[in-house]
Amino acid sequence: MTTPGNEGRFEGYDIVKQRKHWDEVTRDVVMSRLEAPPPALEFFTEREAQTANALLDLVLAQHSDPKVEVLHLVDKRLAEGSTDGWRYEDMPEDSIAWRESLLYLDQDAQETFGCRFDECSVEQQGQIVQGVQDAKQWYSMPAEHVWSLWTRYACSAFYAHPWAWNEIGFGGPAYPRGYKVLRPGWREPYEVPERDAEDPVPWADKVERAKRSHEVRTGTK
Amino acid sequence: MSRFSDKKVRERNESAWLLPTGQARTNWELREQMRRYDHDEEVDVVIVGCGAGGGTLTQRLARAGFSVVALDAGPWWDPGSDWVSDEAGSHKLYWTEPRVISGEDPVAMGSNNSGRGVGGSMVHFAGYVPRFHPSDFQTYSLDGVGADWPIRYEDLKPYYEQIEEELPAAGEPWPWGDPHSYPHHAHPLGPNGEIFRRGATKLGLHTRVGPVAIPNGRFGHRNHCIYRGFCLQGCKVNAKASPLITHIPDALAHGAEIRPDSMVYEVVVANGRAKGVRYFHDGASYFQRARLVAIAGYSIETPRLLLLSASKEFPDGLCNDYGQVGHYVMVQGAQQTAGRFADEIRMYKAPPPEVTCEEFYETDPKKDYKRGFAIQNVSPLPITYSEHVTAQGHWGEVLREYMRDYVHWAVLGSLCEFLPQFRNHVALADEKDRHGLPVANFSHSECDNDKQLLQAAKSVMEDILHAAGAQEVITIKRYAHLVGGCRMAASPDQGVVDANLRTFAVPNLFITDGSVMPTQGSANPALTIMSLAARCADYLKATARSGLVAA
Repeated sequence: MTTPGNEGRFEGYDIVKQRKHWDEVTRDVVMSRLEAPPPALEFFTEREAQTANALLDLVLAQHSDPKVEVLHLVDKRLAEGSTDGWRYEDMPEDSIAWRESLLYLDQDAQETFGCRFDECSVEQQGQIVQGVQDAKQWYSMPAEHVWSLWTRYACSAFYAHPWAWNEIGFGGPAYPRGYKVLRPGWREPYEVPERDAEDPVPWADKVERAKRSHEVRTGTK
Repeated sequence: MSRFSDKKVRERNESAWLLPTGQARTNWELREQMRRYDHDEEVDVVIVGCGAGGGTLTQRLARAGFSVVALDAGPWWDPGSDWVSDEAGSHKLYWTEPRVISGEDPVAMGSNNSGRGVGGSMVHFAGYVPRFHPSDFQTYSLDGVGADWPIRYEDLKPYYEQIEEELPAAGEPWPWGDPHSYPHHAHPLGPNGEIFRRGATKLGLHTRVGPVAIPNGRFGHRNHCIYRGFCLQGCKVNAKASPLITHIPDALAHGAEIRPDSMVYEVVVANGRAKGVRYFHDGASYFQRARLVAIAGYSIETPRLLLLSASKEFPDGLCNDYGQVGHYVMVQGAQQTAGRFADEIRMYKAPPPEVTCEEFYETDPKKDYKRGFAIQNVSPLPITYSEHVTAQGHWGEVLREYMRDYVHWAVLGSLCEFLPQFRNHVALADEKDRHGLPVANFSHSECDNDKQLLQAAKSVMEDILHAAGAQEVITIKRYAHLVGGCRMAASPDQGVVDANLRTFAVPNLFITDGSVMPTQGSANPALTIMSLAARCADYLKATARSGLVAA
């Protein structure tokens, strides 16, 4: 079983092992996400790719291997113009908004830390990105809409990946098998209990721990 | 004949029996043998859009002997080979052509509310099919807000009953609005639904399982639901209803022609009469002649098409002499509240639509606001659920920690009845799509009553989840469904179509989709859209295929 950064609570849970129970069309779509990404990017320039990669790693807290390849999926969507089917009136097209926002990240990095965004430490990057989340207007764009753009593209790529499903215990594709155990607290035969199923660390503490760790790492305390 | 016999349904609509048995999901023979009309042939009716409204109208009119051509901008799906049991892989189900959103409270489109292809948005709707309440048709008279419909609940009731049988709808007997029962028994509860019921019961709130458009038991050749939780990604099982399987097969058997991948860009009108439609297919432009035109493109594309069809006769857009086209578009306030439980919930199991509470649907004289809301459970899959987490401002490690906890969360959704406002409208933007046509700009802002409803619904959802034992609750603000934009009215200065869905401006032009609704209630709109189209079909049948003779 692989999980991003070897994080996760479901020891030994490997959704890919269930692939023989999936229909062929779904299997092809899901398994293709495990293949090595194409060597070349279609949309981002090399320079933009470095900034985008740093941003995506930061937002998704992908600080160590193995990492889900998110950059190529975002690049592919932007190259194909595969948007969510809308844009805010006060924002440019998604592809332009991505390019401009990457440029602005570099500008912020230069002004504050005297280097490119991807050359900043994670702590410095964190401060810049937190600054965007806290802002009302960020250069030519409403900060809230920039944030929405980044997180939508990042999360839809990351949580489409079987490694992320392993991490969160999601059951994955379920056709034609379906589910037979529909009760709270019960599992299918192939689903596994959490490592700390007895909940030795209460949920509130887990969140506090994650928040503290996030603040330290990203310098956003 | 017993009450449980399907004989009468089959006599009216044989679709479920025209689907294949076994592993195939599409009756290819029926598609291959489809009747085809020449462009020059003046068909009785050309229908724009094959979703809830267009699909139902196509079936009804074809069965009545009309020659029908139905166009859809998207593909003609095969659930077996086109759809996947996967969230990200289902992106193609949504209308993702460019659109602009604006106003104080812009509404996300795409996967949220816009389908494409034969079956329309019902391909990816959750499956809830509640009726409107009788009060929904008279909100202005009763509550001094919204608008009165030119028809009453009783006018639609026989069509609600018909469509509920044809989907068919499964649920417990319904105590709210006009009390009624459903043709199929309620489905067993999944974990999310059970949490909802547990919390509501503790608070003394009534809930009912259903109503969902998924048969529970034998119905033609439809397969039984396998409770896999991917209703919003298109039902590969042929269990959840959409016109693709509930109405189009019967339409084909009665001589209708379906033309997929055909984007209509103009309704041609001369001397006050519709002559047909122009559309793009495979890069070429075509003109289909017709004696009657029915538009069923939903609340964004229907107004857009009318505005694109401006001409010398109609300089401000077709049917827009009174400036009504594109106005009074409504969405429901559909915030969702998630609750964290010590138990594993694993809400991704079982269909996301399960349980409904309509206790807060009607105006409560003790409150400061008018009208109300419904609560239903919904079960977002991981990508959608990640939006719940990022909506709290979480990112980085905190986002990951919340997501790692996914199996512990249950989610409720509200449907708040936002009021119709003139300022909430669809207009043409400067931006052009790949055909060179101006795209739609949908402007949306909430009024005070809307905001009060959101607040009230949020606190009810939080109370239910806490009563069920939630340790933490989080709420994401969002919207669902689209109606209005070409509303029906008693007079042309108040709306675009009359009580029979005929446009005031052009006597052989009809609109048969959700855009005709003057108010939206707190009910999911699919059943009402289909019922309105079925009612319109009966009216057209009585006009001897001309559309012009008064019934």
